[in-house]
Amino acid sequence: MMFEEWISSALVCAGAFFYLAGTLGMLRFPDIYTRLHAVTKADNLGLGLLAAGLMLRAESWPAMIKLALIWMLALVTSATACYLVANNALRAGLPPVLGRYRSGSRP
Amino acid sequence: MTQSERGRKMFIESGKKEKFPMERHGMLLLNRIFHRFLLLCLLWWVLTEGYPGSWWFGLPGVTVTTAATLGLSSRFTWHWRPLGMIRFVPFFFLQSLHGGIDVAWRALHRQTPMNPALFDFPLRLPHGPARVFLANTVSLLPGTCSADLSEECLKVHVLDGSIAIHTRLQAVEEHVAALFGLSIPPAERFEEASPHE
Repeated sequence: MMFEEWISSALVCAGAFFYLAGTLGMLRFPDIYTRLHAVTKADNLGLGLLAAGLMLRAESWPAMIKLALIWMLALVTSATACYLVANNALRAGLPPVLGRYRSGSRP
Repeated sequence: MTQSERGRKMFIESGKKEKFPMERHGMLLLNRIFHRFLLLCLLWWVLTEGYPGSWWFGLPGVTVTTAATLGLSSRFTWHWRPLGMIRFVPFFFLQSLHGGIDVAWRALHRQTPMNPALFDFPLRLPHGPARVFLANTVSLLPGTCSADLSEECLKVHVLDGSIAIHTRLQAVEEHVAALFGLSIPPAERFEEASPHE
């Protein structure tokens, strides 16, 4: 394997790891607000690394730019969706979990 | 050139500008249309990955889309400064990395440690796209998530309320201001320095 392909594989694997971590966070975090954090942050980085890894394997310039555009479009969508969900939850009066939290300390 | 000659020249030039305001406006509009058209052509080229046969369909599509964007454009202008962009992009990349690692660490930890809090951040940016951009950026940065954008402030949900959120968000706000070429009043520290007013 070539050097570039190694780097590319490493980036794609790292991206997959952050997707996994984001999904775990969504299942384990205590309320809607903290779950939003897990999804937006981990997926932003996950998709970013995935796109970077695939960009190294792209066959042409337009294919490369296309991957970067996909990432940017996903960023805008995820940030907007995050705001809409958080805003609606807040206005509907869903109370956030506040203060020190540890999953073990819950009865 | 003497003082009076220079004055006369300036007078003539200012007269020229005022004489043909419609022409100047027309040129600016043409310029804008041309820029949009080029940008959309570039987008089509990227989407079709440079396939030459696609332009038979692409060129009419780009033309119609250019016309549509002119009809849809809002009164707010959206201009990014190149210098602000050079500073913003690496900042955003590093912060994204930090944010992802932070959340992944909490999610994988046996006890998912966190200290969530809700927090009001007073805005210094003016109304318009810059505020929306700030709210979206904040949602993607480590430990913060925009929950409500109101007239005066941005309600932010944070994963760890014990860190210095205020200074961190102020830094983000300054980056966004530089990106949009806006000047904002100095940070709160300045206001605290003159309590007698």
